[in-house]
Amino acid sequence: MPGPARNSVAIAGVLLERGALRYTPGGQPVLEFLLAHRSARTEAGTQRRVECEMACLAMGPTALLLDGAAVGDAVEAKGFLAARSLKRRSPVLHVETIEFIEGAKNGIQT
Amino acid sequence: MPVIRVALDLPLPQPFDYLADDATPDDVGHRVLVPFGPGDKGRKLGIVVALADTTDQPAEKLRPALEILRDMPPLPATWRELCAFCARYYQHPLGAVMALALPPLLRKGRLPRRRPKAPAPAPAGAIPELLPEQAAAVAAIGEGRGFRTYLLHGITGSGKTEVYLRAIAQVLQGGGQALMLVPEIALTPQLIGRVSARFPDAHVVTAHSGIPEAARGWGFLDALEGRADIVLGTRLAVFMPLPRLRLIVVDEEHDPSFKQQEGLRYSARDVAVVRAKQLDIPIVLGSATPSLESFHHAAGGRYRLLELQRRAVAERLPAVATVDTRRKKLRDGLSEALIDALADTLARGEQSLVFLNRRGYAPVLACPACGWISRCRRCAANLVVHLADRRLRCHHCGLEAPIPRHCPDCGNQDIQPFGRGTQRLESFLADRFPEARILRIDRDSASTPGRWQALLDTIHEGGADILVGTQMLAKGHDFPRLTLVGVVGADAALFAADFRAPERLFSQLMQVGGRSGRAALPGRVLIQTEYPDHPLYRALAGHDYGGFARGQLEERRAAGFPPFSHQCLLRAEARDMAQALAFLAEARRAGEGLAGEAVGLYDPVPMRLARLMNLERAQLLVESASRPALQAFLAGWSASLHARKAPAGLRWHLDVDPQEL
Repeated sequence: MPGPARNSVAIAGVLLERGALRYTPGGQPVLEFLLAHRSARTEAGTQRRVECEMACLAMGPTALLLDGAAVGDAVEAKGFLAARSLKRRSPVLHVETIEFIEGAKNGIQT
Repeated sequence: MPVIRVALDLPLPQPFDYLADDATPDDVGHRVLVPFGPGDKGRKLGIVVALADTTDQPAEKLRPALEILRDMPPLPATWRELCAFCARYYQHPLGAVMALALPPLLRKGRLPRRRPKAPAPAPAGAIPELLPEQAAAVAAIGEGRGFRTYLLHGITGSGKTEVYLRAIAQVLQGGGQALMLVPEIALTPQLIGRVSARFPDAHVVTAHSGIPEAARGWGFLDALEGRADIVLGTRLAVFMPLPRLRLIVVDEEHDPSFKQQEGLRYSARDVAVVRAKQLDIPIVLGSATPSLESFHHAAGGRYRLLELQRRAVAERLPAVATVDTRRKKLRDGLSEALIDALADTLARGEQSLVFLNRRGYAPVLACPACGWISRCRRCAANLVVHLADRRLRCHHCGLEAPIPRHCPDCGNQDIQPFGRGTQRLESFLADRFPEARILRIDRDSASTPGRWQALLDTIHEGGADILVGTQMLAKGHDFPRLTLVGVVGADAALFAADFRAPERLFSQLMQVGGRSGRAALPGRVLIQTEYPDHPLYRALAGHDYGGFARGQLEERRAAGFPPFSHQCLLRAEARDMAQALAFLAEARRAGEGLAGEAVGLYDPVPMRLARLMNLERAQLLVESASRPALQAFLAGWSASLHARKAPAGLRWHLDVDPQEL
């Protein structure tokens, strides 16, 4: 979806915190979690270390899939950003697909 | 040819004249079938209120009555006078008052046929000894001659019912009949059983709207023909004809359910006092938290105050404390102090009650992403989330909808219930105390008398550890193992717009607190609040109804509110607010011409619930320091309102002594 409607994020990291599985009043499972990302990037010609934390929310089958995950598990999440609420406008990554990364420890592939 | 005046159930104040060849003066008070409306088909049932020789009706318009129903004794003069008083005082058509006062079967011109089987008599229980205060109260009521209003102010658990029963026993011994009124919610099989067990030889009639038509018809006839000894009922029982009535008891006299909120907006307590005066007999108004009106009358000597300050069974009153929640982190609305107290009580094998006067799961469903909230499309109110059966419900008009799968505005599925009702509290407590048996008691879980009774039985059998409930649980029930009451979400009533809100809150909390520690075990009440120093909570902690009532009365005196003034509301409902307000403005202009110095008219304003069932609502308050002046004004004003034609689709009514502003 190019153009002004584009909203697509992919990020890998480890589960730093995870909430309990809950359900919407309509019966959809929801899981909220915090992803800790660490990687090395090249920025304006220089290598640097990158770290950040990303608030994420998974709904439906993705939430059920994540319910099996534990803090420390490495995943790659793809989805879109949406504001946390009407009042709190910071973004939350709404995870559409999740992939568990095998053999990962601390976000660095071995 | 004799003419009969007939009161018909129509929105017109005057009786209607009919010809009746065979009518005699003895026919006054009989039901009569008359033709009504154009043609020969229409007929109506009315009551003969007078016999006349002449009529203002032109002869060609006068029609003969179809049949005077002489199949039961005529309704006695005292009954007709009581109805006439209500018609005058509450500005309601006499025929409509009489129709309300008759049970439905008799109102249709029929009589009950087969008598329903009487319930098996309850086993007679032991008669408890009276405490000195109780004995003094019984003696005072017994020695009175003629009309006298007694205000029996007894703390919860002080044995007011025993005083009523002894007073009733005195009356029955002398061959009289007794009438006992209780609030809707308190008329339980237990109370009926207790009365029947005490008077095994007496014919006890129960009267409330839940009784099947035939049984209600028999109850009325038994009362009218003098077979009934005791009538026990809700507000409508105040109209039961009782030829040998010698005593009226109004239990929980402060209870708002004594005031009817539709049609004839009467206060059964006030009508009971009028009836006692009419018959020149004593009346006992009982409460742990008397209405400020009654308390004021007692303080001024108009009512005789009888006090019960000692508990009949339990030694001590429950210890009442507040939990300051201003700087505390709450878990699903509950403070750590309350959760710990619940855990302790559970560990001791005793019962707790968490009181939250809001049913449902949450008062509103909202979308955090776009701000949508679940509004009722018919009312100016929110739809309440009922997660137990996955519905949204309007608690005002009954509108129901399924819980949407996603926000109807933006599509977000993660919509959330906001706030807290009994269902949410129940599910939190179930998570927190998985070992406890939790029972929720509100209008949803106790939706029928059978289910209500089943819940009560479970509690009494010790089948519940933690009760979560609304005001349903507050009244008249003794739970011997209940030792802890937690009060949640009470603060809102401290600052409500209605000046009666603190009075209601105080009595509610006093009552609900009184559920704890009623047997041998000491009780404890914890009130969560952000205003721990509020005088209302302080008075509660000190069990100081008198101090609270005097403080409230001072405020009311300063503001000129009842009982220091008398009020009437004119309410109008229309498709749009402008129309309702315009009607009231016009009524106000008409009223200003009639009101003397003593009567004041306020401005028309939208009601607090400004739209109900697609009708916009507004009200106009009329006030006077003098009840007779207000009554005189209302007679003229009401006539002028009836005379003017209200716009199509607009409905109005007068509410004399309104209980809700």
